[in-house]
Amino acid sequence: MKLKDTFLTPLLKGNPITVLVLGVCSALAVTVTLKGAIVMALSVTVVTGLGNFVLSLLRKGIPNRVRIIVQLVVVAMLVILVDQILKSIEATFPIDKQLSVYIGLIITNCIVMGRIEAFALGNKPFPSLVDGLANGLGYGLILVVVAFFRELFGSGTLFGLQVMPAGYITNNLVILPPFALILIGCIIWAHRAFDKELQEK
Amino acid sequence: MNTNGNIYTIVYTAIIVVVVAGLLAAAAVFLKPAQQANIKAETISQMLQAAQFETEGLNNAQKLDKYAEEIDHAFTIDSKGAKIKDLGVTRDNIELVDGLKAQNYAISGKSGFALGLPVYVFKNGVSIIPCYGAGLWGPVWGYIAIEADGTTIKGTYFDHDSETAGLGARIKDDPAFRGLFVGKKIAWGSRPQFEIIKGGAPAGQENAIDAITGATITSQGLGKAISTWLQAYEPYFSSIIKAEEE
Repeated sequence: MKLKDTFLTPLLKGNPITVLVLGVCSALAVTVTLKGAIVMALSVTVVTGLGNFVLSLLRKGIPNRVRIIVQLVVVAMLVILVDQILKSIEATFPIDKQLSVYIGLIITNCIVMGRIEAFALGNKPFPSLVDGLANGLGYGLILVVVAFFRELFGSGTLFGLQVMPAGYITNNLVILPPFALILIGCIIWAHRAFDKELQEK
Repeated sequence: MNTNGNIYTIVYTAIIVVVVAGLLAAAAVFLKPAQQANIKAETISQMLQAAQFETEGLNNAQKLDKYAEEIDHAFTIDSKGAKIKDLGVTRDNIELVDGLKAQNYAISGKSGFALGLPVYVFKNGVSIIPCYGAGLWGPVWGYIAIEADGTTIKGTYFDHDSETAGLGARIKDDPAFRGLFVGKKIAWGSRPQFEIIKGGAPAGQENAIDAITGATITSQGLGKAISTWLQAYEPYFSSIIKAEEE
């Protein structure tokens, strides 16, 4: 597969959320505000990218029987590093606090382990890095779209700034995770209506 | 080379684990000062906001300066309200969340924790006292600013570890909830001294506010945290009020 396709496929035709339906859990949880969604998207992108890269470097030496454990150790390390770094930067400290456990839960995000198993273990480091980054960005794309609608109609704000007229009553249905599921459902619907190849017979 | 042999597998995993542990330990040590600085600046900004000082848009250094500018004196008190130790006005003596947790144990009488409740007095006479307790998913804590008269609430600021966004998290995120406290009066001597009432505080009751709809347990937890800590501070504030009357 060409490098360009490796990069573009996860953004659209093979989007982790709308097509592979991976990482949905965190997509429901962290999309209440745009800032949170963007920080989460970037964190996941860093973890998928570096995770793919490191494990692709190690791929020939990993004992097959402990393959998953080695992957888990590397991914866990990356996630903890990301969390620690977010906590130590003045600008991201409050957002890390708001995301609370979900940064740590990137470890359990199926996209990370899924891409390592499906791509990094069988490809060279550079294409693996690209694949990881692209999958993170594909995930982030959906996160930002969902967060845009949830923050706008839930809290009446965008990036924390009031957009809706003053006195807008916060919409609890939109703020709570079930609405994100409905929204993601709609995005999947739109995506499949647009791209006929994705429709199952 | 056989990558599936037992010895290879054991050596390989051991090396990976040691390398990862080393990297993480290095990162933790290296990043700790920056993290502590963020936590301290956040705590100070919360205290300033409780006392109705504007901290919006200030960076960490400016928040610390603002605190240094406004603080008059700070000290800790014991269960009788007597002063134990002068904290001075340096920012190094601010109790962070971990300190509040330890004090919460001390208040509830758990052994091994020495009571030393902090009081921060600003130049305008406003005293800040903290509170700490259990919310729905994790701890909730905050700061209550009390006017120089010892009963009127100037303002509050609450924080939490993991309350539900949009519901329990409104104790921190919703300025309207904080606004409910402003001008309320603590009923020293009655039990509880202050209440958060589900379904709405009766009109005219000066020591109560409305609970947050959809966040019953967070509201109850916060109410309990406030009343427990107010009770611990009661001897101190009673003596202030008495001194003022005389």
